[in-house]
Formats: sequence, structure tokens, C-alpha cells
Amino acid sequence: MSADLAYCTAAELAGMIRARAVSPVEAVQAYLARIDRWDGALRAYVTVCRERALDEARGAEQALAHGAPLGPLHGVPFAVKDQFDTAGIRTTSGSRLHADRVPTEDATVVARLRSAGGILLGKLNLTEFALGGTLTYPFGQPRNPWDQSRETGGSSSGSGIAAAAALAAATLGEDTGGSVRSPASWCGAVGLRPTWGLVPRTGCIPVAWSMDAPGPLTRSVEDAALLLSIIAGPDRHDRWVRAAVADPRAGLERGAGGLSIGVVTPLLDSADTDDEVRAAVRAAAATLRGLGARVEDVDLPLLPMAGAVFMALADGEAAAWHHRTLATRGDEYDAGTRRRLVTAALLPATLVQQAARARAAIRTQVLDALARFDLLLAPTGPTPAPPIASAQAPIASRAEAARRFFNRRSYTTPASLAGVPALSLPCGFTASGLPIGLQMIGRRFDEATLLRAGRAYERATDWRARRPPLPS
Amino acid sequence: MTELTPDAVRALAAAAGLPLDGPDLAEVTHRLNAFVDVLGGLATLDLAAAEPAPALPPDSPRGDG
Repeated sequence: MSADLAYCTAAELAGMIRARAVSPVEAVQAYLARIDRWDGALRAYVTVCRERALDEARGAEQALAHGAPLGPLHGVPFAVKDQFDTAGIRTTSGSRLHADRVPTEDATVVARLRSAGGILLGKLNLTEFALGGTLTYPFGQPRNPWDQSRETGGSSSGSGIAAAAALAAATLGEDTGGSVRSPASWCGAVGLRPTWGLVPRTGCIPVAWSMDAPGPLTRSVEDAALLLSIIAGPDRHDRWVRAAVADPRAGLERGAGGLSIGVVTPLLDSADTDDEVRAAVRAAAATLRGLGARVEDVDLPLLPMAGAVFMALADGEAAAWHHRTLATRGDEYDAGTRRRLVTAALLPATLVQQAARARAAIRTQVLDALARFDLLLAPTGPTPAPPIASAQAPIASRAEAARRFFNRRSYTTPASLAGVPALSLPCGFTASGLPIGLQMIGRRFDEATLLRAGRAYERATDWRARRPPLPS
Repeated sequence: MTELTPDAVRALAAAAGLPLDGPDLAEVTHRLNAFVDVLGGLATLDLAAAEPAPALPPDSPRGDG
């Protein structure tokens, strides 16, 4: 299988497999060959399920030969963030503390992808316990396929790499405060955070129960819709998942005509936003206007505070989950994770309650805006991928702590705090060749409109056709 | 809220049963003071009507009260 085929979308590959133009074994072997060639440098994978994937591919071939009913992902190799439990396969959460943890059941989302015929290729690298800010990765430093000296974004780092560099046909991540959208943006992939309450979290190591949302990272909007259609829906172990689920693929090809779009100026025009990012997002807004959407600026003044509010709440939830281990085995955590968790454990309760009220106020501002507009537009992050070294420098002041930890998160966390869906997709490249991410934020449980707008934009541009310059 | 010193942060951590010193203590102190700065600013907002529900029930029509 050529690189062209490896870069097919999951939907295209599934079609070719059904038509017997490509066999599942060929597909698995092709991705394994790419992993062998490039993952030593990129470190997308924590665990590669080589023999198991090949066995399952041979089974998928037999099913094809026997005319068995085929699922929508039949024979398609996928990979998941190592935050999702996999029966019989270790699930590390990116931590030495879980290096030997082997679950006995698949996470619900993994089970659903496998039931749809997908073949699990392996488990993908992440920041420790999906928290972000890891200084030393126990399973290798993930590197951006567009520039290996750069960050990938987190926490679904390996998912972003594998989607962008075609080390799997499609991947799954988990987004609490931007952990799907940030790596999608920096690695040049499509990433979808679904509405909180649409996709079950069962079997996913938690970060913050009130915001955790499993979601796909893919090479196309169509694939994001396809994977979401498989993983969404009620689960008897997750009582917060909505019973009725609309098909996220409905109207996918209807175009952007007639949509109303609000451009979030406090984020786009922030001094933190790079000029190249601002220009790319403005250009994307103009493209959508050209496709028939009504585009206006919208002011949501509380959003620049979202990063700090999010961290006070999400990190507090995480600190509670980790407290006992932190007290007894704290030195086994990565230093960045440990410092983040200890900080959250010591936050004064009055400040946390202020943050909880601020979350409600931010949620109201976002929902009010989404009552006026079908979707909101913003940069996924203020900058393209920064150098790895810049994230590892010591924190020397409170101002530096605020800049590094809060400001960037204010771009992705409004959707998390409001519980609404958000999509990141490529909208350009910097002069130095780094991807720029466009964020679309939609109404609760209206992923279909979000994906429709994303698909219209994707079709009108050629960003998706670019491939990272992988090392020889 | 006043600025937290490393000694105060160390004492807080000890009370919470969390060992903390060296580079961790310095960074946690900076991080906590950053939170105090930014979240302290929320006191200027009128948040009295904002009920702090952590998440919206999936079947609520809008759910923000």
C-alpha cells in the first residue's frame, strides 16, 4: 500500500476494503510499516498491537470472503489514546504509575469501534494522566510531524501525530479542556470535542468528570462524523449520556449557505494571538462568508478568563482523584504533573467556588451567543506549535505561570466549561510551515451543523491535501 | 487575598499530607499566586446570580437556569 493509500480517509479505506480493492491485512501491514519507519522519531505510540492486529485483519479478510455482514469500519486500522482501557492490553495513561496496568475490559468507545469492524492498531502517547504539562514522557517525547523540534499539543499527543502522519487510518482522543483540539491544531489534523453527555466515558481514566469528552482525531471532517456516529449514544455505565442521539452525518454535504457564524473577537483580537493565526482565521471567516454564511463579530468578554477558571475546576477534580497516590507515591509522577496536582490540591475553597460561579457565567455567555448564531469561530490556540524546549523551561514567576498555563487554555476551555461541541480543523500554515487550527464551536448536541460547516470549509480549501515532511 | 510565601505553601501542603520542597515548592508557589491573581479578579464581577452547577443535565433544553 502506497503513502497515498495510507493517507486515505478512514471512510475511503473502508470503501476500498468493502470493494476488495485493498485487503485488511494489506492495510494493517502498511500502517505497521509506517510506524516502524517513523515512530522511533515521532513517538506517537506507547504500545503497538502488531500480532493481534494482523490476526484480526486475517479474520476480517475471512469475513469478507464469506460475505458476512460488515460494520462501517470493517478492516480499518485505528488507534486510541492510552487513556482508554483495552482488554488484555496495558493501558498506561502515559504514566510510570500505570506502566503495568492491564484492564480486563475495553472502554465503551473502544468496544464500539471494534464492533464496527475497526482493527485496533495500538495505544497512543499522551501527557501523563491526560493532564498536560508533562516534562519527561516515560514512553518517549512526542514530536510534531511538521517540525520535530516542536510540541504536538496535548494531551492526546499521539492521536494528533498518528492522524497527521498517517500512522493509523483514524484515532481517538479525549478532550477535557482542549486535549483533542490542541493536538489537532498543532499537528494539522481534524479534532472533534463532542457535547458533554453525548459519548460515554466508561473505561476512560478520568481527568475531570464534569468536562471529559472522548472524541475523534482524523484526517477529514467526514471521518470525524463517521467515528462520532459509532462512539456516541447511551451506555448503561455512564448515566450522564443522553438517550437520544441524532446522526452527526445528517446534512454533512449541505454546505455553509444560510449558516450564521459569530467570530469571537476577545480571542481572535487578543494580544496573545499571533498575527499569522489571526490572519488565517479571518481568511477562514471570509471563505465561509463566500460560501453563503452570515458572519459577524461577537464579543464574549468573560472568555479570556476561561483558562484560569477551567484549571481551578478541572485540576481540582483531578487532584481529588489522584490525592492518595500523590501523597504516597508522589515521586513517581512526572514533576510537571505533580506540581500541577499539588497546586490544585492547595487552592483555597473560596477561589474554587468563585471559579464555579464564573463557569456558570461563561456558560451563559456562550449559550446566549449560540442562541444568536449557529456556531462560533475562533482560533483553536493563540499560536502554532511552540518549541518543545520552551515548555520545559522552569517557571520563574507568577506572571510566567499565568501566561504559560492559563492564557493558551482560554481558547479551548470555553467550550469545555459550557459543555458544547467544538471542532478544530486546519485553516492554513505559517510562513515556517506549521499548521494553524480553526475552531468552530456549536450548539449542544448539534454536532451535525458543526460538521456541516467544517466539511464545507474543508471542501473549499486545500489545506487537507498537505502532508508533513517526515524524516527520511 | 495576600501573596502566598513558600513557607505558607509548604505548611499548607503538609496539612494536606503532601510532601513539597525544592523546585516543586518554588513552582507551586508561583502557580498558586497566579491563581490568586486571576481568580481574585472574579470578585469584581457580579456572579451572585450564577448558580455553580458543574455540568448541564444532558436532556435539559438549555440548562443554564
